[in-house]
Amino acid sequence: MAAGPATLWSTTRSGRPAGRFPQGRSVSTILVVEDDERIRSSMRLALEGEGHDVVDVASGEEAIDAFARDPTDLVLLDLMLPGMDGFDTCRSIRRASAVPVIMVTARSDTHDVVAGLEAGADDYVTKPFVAKELGARIRALLRRTRAADGDVGTLTFGDVEVVPDAGVVRRGGEEIHCTRTEFRLLTELARNPGRVLSREHLLEQVWGYDYFGDGRLVDVHVRRLRTKVEADPANPRYIITVRGMGYKLAA
Amino acid sequence: MTFAVGALALSGVMAGITYLTARAGFLNERQAEFRRQAFVNASLVQNSLRVPGTAVGQLLESVDTLPGSRSVLATHGQWFATSISVGQSQIPPAERSLVLSGTAASQTFTIDATPEVVVGVPLPGVGAAYFEVFSLEEVERTLRTLALTLAIAAGVTTLAGAAVGRWAAGRALRPLRGVSDAAVAIAAGDLGTRVDAGDDADLSVLASSFNRMADHLQERIEREARFTSDVSHELRSPLTTLSASLSVLEAQREQLGPTGQRALGLLAGDLSRFTRMVSDLLEISRFDAGSAELSLDDVDAGELVRHALAAAMPPHGAAGPPERPVVVDVTPRALGLRVRVDKRRIERIVANLVDNARQYAGGARRVVVDAPSGPGARGPILRITVEDAGPGVAPDERGHLFERFYRGRSSGRRGAGEGTGLGLALVAEHARLHGGSVGIEDVPGGGARFVVDLPIDPEPGGPATDGARAASTDRADPSR
Repeated sequence: MAAGPATLWSTTRSGRPAGRFPQGRSVSTILVVEDDERIRSSMRLALEGEGHDVVDVASGEEAIDAFARDPTDLVLLDLMLPGMDGFDTCRSIRRASAVPVIMVTARSDTHDVVAGLEAGADDYVTKPFVAKELGARIRALLRRTRAADGDVGTLTFGDVEVVPDAGVVRRGGEEIHCTRTEFRLLTELARNPGRVLSREHLLEQVWGYDYFGDGRLVDVHVRRLRTKVEADPANPRYIITVRGMGYKLAA
Repeated sequence: MTFAVGALALSGVMAGITYLTARAGFLNERQAEFRRQAFVNASLVQNSLRVPGTAVGQLLESVDTLPGSRSVLATHGQWFATSISVGQSQIPPAERSLVLSGTAASQTFTIDATPEVVVGVPLPGVGAAYFEVFSLEEVERTLRTLALTLAIAAGVTTLAGAAVGRWAAGRALRPLRGVSDAAVAIAAGDLGTRVDAGDDADLSVLASSFNRMADHLQERIEREARFTSDVSHELRSPLTTLSASLSVLEAQREQLGPTGQRALGLLAGDLSRFTRMVSDLLEISRFDAGSAELSLDDVDAGELVRHALAAAMPPHGAAGPPERPVVVDVTPRALGLRVRVDKRRIERIVANLVDNARQYAGGARRVVVDAPSGPGARGPILRITVEDAGPGVAPDERGHLFERFYRGRSSGRRGAGEGTGLGLALVAEHARLHGGSVGIEDVPGGGARFVVDLPIDPEPGGPATDGARAASTDRADPSR
């Protein structure tokens, strides 16, 4: 899919101006993809109660259509869907957009979580989730996407160039498409070359979560990032795992 | 051994009976033969003696005797014998007088330690008595040979029997050992174990019924585990709806009257308990299905416990009396200790122990994070202890406390009914999954101390894996 920078972080249905780091909007639109009608309705009520606009659909196909028609600020995606499943739906949305995706899984300890993250989700919640907890995660991800990433200049390592203000990553002069989470993760690492950053630190800085994030979020995102910036992702030169500690960017 | 002794006794008895029977039969037969011989010779002698002038000495010599038999003739008070080894004096007196008084008789006696049989026949027609002495030596020799043969046979039979028995028993029991091993494996939780009967016809019956039993058992256990899992899965959708709807109501709490607010509080309390119960059931069914996996993270041990404790405290504004804050002590040696654990599971352990203390023992008093040296001096382990303010746990109750839905003696004091009945069972399962253990001790001065010991790295030397990579090689989830 030819996803150029223009569609990468595109405008939302509220007509917010196109920009990589949308700011200053208080009402966010959330796309809820859930086949259970009751859950869908109750989530709509709860999210609207929290001040969000909600678009809800019952299948992956509808979700892709709805998102293409009118991209939302965040997608809440059930993995178990009739027809096209959540993984494919997530990949499909990812090809067109860097929108934050929270997937809803049946279990937290299976490969579903990892597979969902690999498919491009930014985070996950497990059914039955507590609405408050979901609300907190949504707020964290939205706050994060709105906030400026700080005023740092261009960061470079090897042939990779990160421009935080512009939200651009280039490798060998060519732009690489990253999700917001990947971008923030890379920026955080590049800002602290040679320093080991723990998973907790990264969860806090990149996802905006307190302690209760899942370390697997970091692991999968690091892996995805490696496929984009490393020449040989299996033997990374830049983003190094420090066993028992976390990750660091080789200085 | 018993078998060999039995075989020896049996073959000994059989040999003895055989010997005695053979001996009696043999002797009777010989003695009948002796008597017949003696009577034939006696009548011959009598006929000869009727002829006047017969030389008694020659007559005796001419008598056709068996080898080793000797004749003695008493006529008119005179004794004649064919051998110097026998004569009047050698014939036992009782026999002598019996025969001389006109009664035929036979008797066994010994001459020079040689067993002899003497048969005496009175010859009244000629005023004489004929005695014939037969040697039993040959008979005795035969019997001795027979006895020896039988003894040897008994010995050989015993040894051979023992050897064959041993071999046969081993052969017969070998397949049973396979069945026994399989039973042990199944009891240890390896439900897929089956017996291979090979080509043993006798065993195949046992093996197939054993395997059938194991199939049924496995099917049943899996069905039960699946049922729990299925039920819990099904409950999650309505729970999600309830939870989301409740949060809408809670946001509008102020618009409700006092009655409505109380009802909402009850609803919220029990919904969260219900949610926990379903989560706990799912969690435990995963352990039962063997699909529980560790998702390891590197964390600071003290930090982890502090956060877990903060999360375990009831939210502000919750019903019930205000909680006394729980002190967390991190011992100097545990300060800054990095551990590689499944964060979520450790948080559950701490939360469940604190919940347990709150419900049954007046609340947790102190939580200690320590790093004592592990067994075998292989570096430190992580020890988390939770002390409560309750009456302690009786020693005989300690093991049961980690059973599912165990209602102890303290169940009468069951607090607000917040427990799911699975909390401590899950504590034990989580610890076990890490390769750790749980225990209960008395605290000097009252109260119980729950001790959780965990390795600081459940897979030391393992690949520098990310939790994600470990999890991505998950076996398929049977509950889906």
